[in-house]
Amino acid sequence: MTRFILSVITAALMFSSCRNAGDNKALNPGAGTPAPGRLTIEKEKHYFKVTVSEPWQNSSGIKHVWYLVPRDSAMPAGISEAQTIRIPVRRMICMSATHIAMMRALGAESLIAGISGSSLIYDSVVREGLHNGTIRDVGYEGNLNMELVVSLAPDLLMAYGVADPSTGNTSRLSETGVKVFYNADYLEEHPLSRCEWIRLFGLLTGREKMADSIFAGVSGAYRDLAEKVSDAVTDRPDVLLGAPWEDVWYVSPAGSYIGRLIEDAGGHYIYSDMTGLNSVPYSVESVFRKAMEADLWINPGAADNLAEIAAADPRLAALPLFREGNVWNNRLRVTEAGGNDYWESAVVRPDLLLSDIVSIIHPGLMPGYVQIYYRKLE
Amino acid sequence: MKAGSTRLAFSLAGLFLLMLLLFMADMLIGSTQMAAHDVLRALFGTGSAGDELIVMQFRLPKALTAILAGAAMSVSGLLMQTLFRNPLAGPDVMGVSSGAGLGVALTLLTLTPLFTLAEGSILSGWGVILAAWAGAGAVMLIIMAVSARMRDIMTVLIIGMLLASAISAVVSLMQYFSNEVMLRTYVIWTMGNLGNISYPQIRALALATMAGLAIAFTMVKPLNAILMGETFSRTVGVRMQRTRIVLLASASILAGSVTAFCGPLAFIGVAVPHIARLLFGTTDHRILLPATALAGAVILLLSDIISVLPGGGQVIPVNTVTSLIGIPVVLWIILGKTGLGRRF
Repeated sequence: MTRFILSVITAALMFSSCRNAGDNKALNPGAGTPAPGRLTIEKEKHYFKVTVSEPWQNSSGIKHVWYLVPRDSAMPAGISEAQTIRIPVRRMICMSATHIAMMRALGAESLIAGISGSSLIYDSVVREGLHNGTIRDVGYEGNLNMELVVSLAPDLLMAYGVADPSTGNTSRLSETGVKVFYNADYLEEHPLSRCEWIRLFGLLTGREKMADSIFAGVSGAYRDLAEKVSDAVTDRPDVLLGAPWEDVWYVSPAGSYIGRLIEDAGGHYIYSDMTGLNSVPYSVESVFRKAMEADLWINPGAADNLAEIAAADPRLAALPLFREGNVWNNRLRVTEAGGNDYWESAVVRPDLLLSDIVSIIHPGLMPGYVQIYYRKLE
Repeated sequence: MKAGSTRLAFSLAGLFLLMLLLFMADMLIGSTQMAAHDVLRALFGTGSAGDELIVMQFRLPKALTAILAGAAMSVSGLLMQTLFRNPLAGPDVMGVSSGAGLGVALTLLTLTPLFTLAEGSILSGWGVILAAWAGAGAVMLIIMAVSARMRDIMTVLIIGMLLASAISAVVSLMQYFSNEVMLRTYVIWTMGNLGNISYPQIRALALATMAGLAIAFTMVKPLNAILMGETFSRTVGVRMQRTRIVLLASASILAGSVTAFCGPLAFIGVAVPHIARLLFGTTDHRILLPATALAGAVILLLSDIISVLPGGGQVIPVNTVTSLIGIPVVLWIILGKTGLGRRF
């Protein structure tokens, strides 16, 4: 795993040096270019001002402002202490697997004091830390172990808000003096905007340059591949996404993370006309009808083979793409307990994720490519 | 009297016809647009492969399930209302649906991680159904054991409701300790669903419904006698203990099976018997029993048509539709406008 992370960083540095050699193509809007994300970082004279706009789902007009002040400098005037984080942080609690992935990519895992949901962690180093007690599982919202959190004395608890947290346990922590940062990475629709949150972790851990260069490398590689695909592709295969729950199929909007990846990988999402931010419950009948014409099926829930899908809903086995075996899930790197690296390291490496999906949709463009996160169902 | 019974027979035939019409409408109106002649062609095996799949694998099983589940749940409610002589009784007063829910919660909320079905789970067909059946069956046996020892039917009712509350508390506790994905799966189950049922499952549901209904129809005379009071029933030779157990068995088989296959479609069981009484103006179970079964099928078919928000592709949970139809009816009863409460 460490070797993997090192290779990630090396590759990123290589990409970033290419980028600095004056390649301006990526500045053109088009394939692979993200809309502005929810994270803004402004460098002031003595500190950084970090703004998170819309920190949770369906929030409207909410902005969280934080001031990141170097530990050894004096407190700047006119800044509230409650909104200040002294950097670099020394101990941190990471509530989401994506936070862990970013810390790992920066080699800052030794700063992680606590995490949430130990069974869903993929990273072997963090799991080892959990095993030997250097990292503790603090639980989550309803089961959050507040006493443990306080006793770990973190400089920061990196949380994520599913909804307005003002009534939840996590926000009560602020009253005990624990600084709770609501990270909105999982709400970013563009894979690059999601990856860009690594810059925040770079600032927090004193690895600003490393984070910037990883992000520059990854986004350069992502854009190059997206452009290469958009130039090369003449036909876009139709892609079906997701899986039904009983008789309901929650359909992701076209602008979603995975919807974006499919478009950038030269595919055509069968609900590409669906706007909005949230997934919408459709009847299985209506999705089935559209899926009859589709060529590929990506992310069919937690099924690990075709027989499981057929057992859950035999009708799905009648789809042409199912009969041809064109079904792929994102569960190549999973732990027995349920941790999936797709939700972890892939967030820091959207370029690799894109390569996986391009190789699925247009294998001709990536001869000999071996998938990292995706596997074909047997 | 003769004219009256002819009128009732005609009304029953009319209700049956309405059910057939709504069955056809449910086949014609789906969540995708399809021309009527294409639906008919698909039904007779001469349509395009895609149309045939939609009609035979989606619409037909759903419409058949609506008929079976509507009839079964409503008759189960009727039996409970008569047995307990309580207009607000329904299939769930004995905790049968709660028992089924406990079985499902056990599979979805605790066993799921063992099968690593966690994220974005597709439910596996028979596992959940068998668990629900086992849960409903266990509750039914407890209630029957209690019923055999208790003389007073109201004690049985109270014990049943306490049992239902206790089971709900256990389910809440399990929900509290489960993760978001498992919760969502369970919550979707509780919203009721007619559409993910295969033909072998429909055969099992049909068999259970037929068995439950058959038992109910043999009990028409004791049911009518119960309305006159237990003392009266005894004087006309109804063996109360035995009758109770048979009625509980019938109601539990009906409600437990429907809950196992479709989730808790509870409300329909409270409301439909009242609709049948209103429509037919009788408390005679010879009429009321078939009328309730037909009205239940009609209302669930109608709810299903509404729940697919015709042609739009989206769906709303069928339970919300049945409740929205049923609640005004129950309000009507509570406000006493129809005087139905006095018929018990």
